[in-house]
Amino acid sequence: MITIKHAGCLQCAGCCSVCPTRALELVGGKIEFYPEKCIQCGACVRICPANVIELKKEGKK
Amino acid sequence: MKSDHDVIVIGSGPAGSSLARVLAKEGKDVLIIEKRKQIGVPVRCGEGLGARELLKQNLTLPKGIYSTEILGAKVVAPNGQQIIWKDEETKGYMLERKAFDQWLCELAIKEGAKLKVLMRATDLIMKNGKIQGLKVIYREQEEFELTAPLIISAEGMEAQIAKKAGFNTVHSPYDVDTCYQYEMMEYSHENLIELYFGAKIAPRGYVWIFPKENKKINLGLGIGGNILNGKKLGGMQGSDPKILLDDFISKNKELKNASIMNEFGGVISVGAPIDKFVTDNFMVIGTASKQVDPIHGGGIALAMESGLMAAKIILDAKGKYSKENLEGYEKIWKEGPGKKVAKRLMLRKVMEKLNDDDLNYIFKAICDKELNQVMKGNFAVSVAKVLAGRPQLLKILSVLTS
Repeated sequence: MITIKHAGCLQCAGCCSVCPTRALELVGGKIEFYPEKCIQCGACVRICPANVIELKKEGKK
Repeated sequence: MKSDHDVIVIGSGPAGSSLARVLAKEGKDVLIIEKRKQIGVPVRCGEGLGARELLKQNLTLPKGIYSTEILGAKVVAPNGQQIIWKDEETKGYMLERKAFDQWLCELAIKEGAKLKVLMRATDLIMKNGKIQGLKVIYREQEEFELTAPLIISAEGMEAQIAKKAGFNTVHSPYDVDTCYQYEMMEYSHENLIELYFGAKIAPRGYVWIFPKENKKINLGLGIGGNILNGKKLGGMQGSDPKILLDDFISKNKELKNASIMNEFGGVISVGAPIDKFVTDNFMVIGTASKQVDPIHGGGIALAMESGLMAAKIILDAKGKYSKENLEGYEKIWKEGPGKKVAKRLMLRKVMEKLNDDDLNYIFKAICDKELNQVMKGNFAVSVAKVLAGRPQLLKILSVLTS
């Protein structure tokens, strides 16, 4: 599960371009997150130039 | 059944607008859809464009579209040694990127293309396994369908619809640079692009200072997406260009006292283009197909060129948009700009193997004329001369042959 601190987001959509499952999308000037698609790979966190994305890994169910 | 349009273009950036301009001029019914409220906003690049690139397009930049002219480049080695490089090849423009994108789109509209902003493509319409149009949503409220026998993805880095059409548009962290940028003033820039290299300054990347009018600059720092220089929210390691950019500023007497007018940034592609650019009724152009210079991440010129090439092939196809009829675009791109991009991808892979000592040595060894060759991609001569004095650099050759 990722959370985005939107106030510092540059809306560059870099996170969307590295997301392998397209769980992130720039919609209406804001990054939308589709949790059901997320595989928790962390690529978006690693490259976000503004460091506004946080990944909290969920435990195995 | 008649389609709503001859061609629908997703994205109003330099690639989409260049293509739309040519097609509309030849009488095609072209619709450009742009999901953002305003074309070109927010800006997410360094805004530099070479003068030669505009000549290829038969375009003259009106004042207001660019901020200032670029006379050349100043390249600074890790040890501070400088090379200043000024000739016809290095002349260019510092764009006002927002105004530039709007101007290019206006040229397309003047030729008869239509534009809809705040309209986002959400999916492809398929019939009997063939792409026949797009599902779109306006203002995230009204959903409807638009049909056309040809869909163009000029979506840029995100390329969501191209991925749905089966193209590998996902970027790996290794194949991107992540950049943080400030617009700042005042800085005495001499109308030169300044580039600073070094593992401590910007690992697998560089700092740029691009000149703008009124002693303004676009100052940015890009580093490899695989570099782990910062602690991210939640404790994960990742690339954090802002830390290094702020550090660079704190060490520069003039920048330290300058004001930041705007903060922005972006992630740029520095990897290889995708293998295929076309399928039945669908083409991918510009940055969406990862057609970007792997050394500096510049995509504007390539995007415009790609738009023109695709438009030519579309006109030749005379309304029959099968994969076979569109493949000519792949062919002319790979034989033209693709060759240069491939060479520069090799050069990037060489450069990332070099440490600061290697870089300092090369700066010393390369005279201005040979730097010129390196920048053009004819780097074999320079590499050979440098290697002659420093055998340990042979390790970089393994990359060239791999």
